Amino acid sequence: MPNIKIFSGSSHPDLSQKIADRLGLELGKVVTKKFSNQETCVEIGESVRGEDVYIVQSGCGEINDNLMELLIMINACKIASASRVTAVIPCFPYARQDKKDKGFFDIPVDNLYAEPAVLKWIKENIPEWKNCTIVSPDAGGAKRVTSIADRLNVDFALIHKERKKANEVDRMVLVGDVTDRVAILVDDMADTCGTVCHAADKLISAGATKVYAILTHGIFSGPAISRINNACFEAVVVTNTIPQEEKMKHCPKIQVIDISMILAEAIRRTHNGESVSYLFSHVPL
Amino acid sequence: PSPPLPSTPSPLQEGLNMNHTKGGLVIFTANSHPASRELGKRISERLGVELGKVQVYQEANRETRVQIQESVRGKDVFVIQTMSKDVNTTIMEMLILVYACRTSCARSITGVLPYFPYSKQCKMRKRGSIVSKLIASMMCKAGLTHLITMDLHQKEIQGFFNIPVDNLRASPFLLQYIQEEIPDYRNAVIVAKSPASAKRAQSFAERLRLGIAVIHGEAQDAESDQVDGRHSPPTVKTTGAIHPSMEIPLLIPKEKPPITVVGDVGGRIAIIVDDIIDDVDSFVAAAETLKERGAYKIFVMATHGLLSCDAPRFIEESAIDEVVVTNTIPHELQKLQCPKIKTVDISMILSEAIRRIHNGESMSYLFRNIGVDD
Repeated sequence: MPNIKIFSGSSHPDLSQKIADRLGLELGKVVTKKFSNQETCVEIGESVRGEDVYIVQSGCGEINDNLMELLIMINACKIASASRVTAVIPCFPYARQDKKDKGFFDIPVDNLYAEPAVLKWIKENIPEWKNCTIVSPDAGGAKRVTSIADRLNVDFALIHKERKKANEVDRMVLVGDVTDRVAILVDDMADTCGTVCHAADKLISAGATKVYAILTHGIFSGPAISRINNACFEAVVVTNTIPQEEKMKHCPKIQVIDISMILAEAIRRTHNGESVSYLFSHVPL
Repeated sequence: PSPPLPSTPSPLQEGLNMNHTKGGLVIFTANSHPASRELGKRISERLGVELGKVQVYQEANRETRVQIQESVRGKDVFVIQTMSKDVNTTIMEMLILVYACRTSCARSITGVLPYFPYSKQCKMRKRGSIVSKLIASMMCKAGLTHLITMDLHQKEIQGFFNIPVDNLRASPFLLQYIQEEIPDYRNAVIVAKSPASAKRAQSFAERLRLGIAVIHGEAQDAESDQVDGRHSPPTVKTTGAIHPSMEIPLLIPKEKPPITVVGDVGGRIAIIVDDIIDDVDSFVAAAETLKERGAYKIFVMATHGLLSCDAPRFIEESAIDEVVVTNTIPHELQKLQCPKIKTVDISMILSEAIRRIHNGESMSYLFRNIGVDD
């Protein structure tokens, strides 16, 4: 493909390489380092004049450092006369502090969905999927869960938190039935994993035979890994929007869905001016 | 919406004759690191105002969270932010606090950044980014209406902002230190460790009625012509050219002469002045040279003491007798490692600037005797 360049920030070089491989391109040369006073320094190592530039940087690890690195790279490409600069941010930082919405940006935003990849994984890896129940660990995820349940033609359930007092542990109430079923918890983020582990306990005590958790962004901060190791999951499945290699060494229950093909296809379609909405319901091969 | 209640000044505030606007004044520090809040505390003590209640911390997933715990509606907000070890996090903390104040209807938001970050990345280098401009744009976009800073590395950075910028000077405090703490300062020579800081050295020397010396020929890093690995093809020779052998003339590469000291330091005290002291290699080398040329005592005076990595150790082992910096950047740890480092407190001028801006008074008193070239 002519006139396209892909650069990787330092947050997730592995995913960037996978994306570049799928597109049949080499990653662009860029040097990112920190001065001794901890200021970030970015130098683009090749010409981007007139090119369609894509910068892949995920909001994980040291978020503020990675965010600043991304901003500086975008700025550097713009001043070096790139024709267009697109940021590919698999896991968008600060998404929970204010609801990330198309309305907050002045530029086009393509919010891709992991759903097609999740459906594919369920069908290929859970033998009893035709008889499972998709469960949302909180009331906010009901829409996400019903969407998956409808496409698989299975039942759904949700867990509702009853908040009694400020410092008391909330009581969890299961709305729906999971008796003698495989339960699949679905959520967008796995951060400290307190909620999802409690939910798993609840589901087992409500009669579920196995509990899976499928979470798009595996942040796993703080006590998350030890909580998962002590909980009763069959498997905890995340995508590779955030690097997972280190965490998988400490937790054998973690499995990873590769979503590099979705991002690569989005980049290819954007570059060629084709529609991206095909990706909202299909996983490219 | 009900009209704002008239604020009744507390006895403490009345005693200091603070003429409040209807809304009043709030001072925040957005630093999560306790050492970085020191300067903010000092400034608020001088003003007789309590620091505003705000919680700034890093969550487990490394996201910064800022929670303001008092009302800022209709008030003049001042955000004091000192740069800490994690520069990017400090910037983010400030941006989030400023934006939060803006969306909470603060009347005005003034940033007080004694050391402006990324000020060394203010020029276009190879295929880099002008990060100071990026940061300036981000701060203005977040809602900053005014900026107070000190000794900007390049004064032209003021032009990156479309809001008023007050670039205060630390030199009066450093000059006062020289006159009060260096007994035979009249036998001193102000030294510029490279031609780039010659103007600053001259400014100090003229005020103290002393001579200057300039060190030339040291290995420079940032400004040299390095090969950057670009593959750019040479000019194309067109067939219709008048002079087929005409080429774009190549700039002759610079060659630094061996280290020379222009000016006499024999039998004198040498005072090296600069705006930032970060990597101390060049300072240590300069001190060696000055010692060889006969200087019997060597001081280094700089506004911003970044003193990264092993700087304290290098200073301790070097020919430098004393390093004097201001408290624009916290350096308590470095002082413990190296007793040669001394601090000059500049909180007075920052608190005075805040007071004047809040009261709508003239700031020109703070800039008296400062010329165009300073």
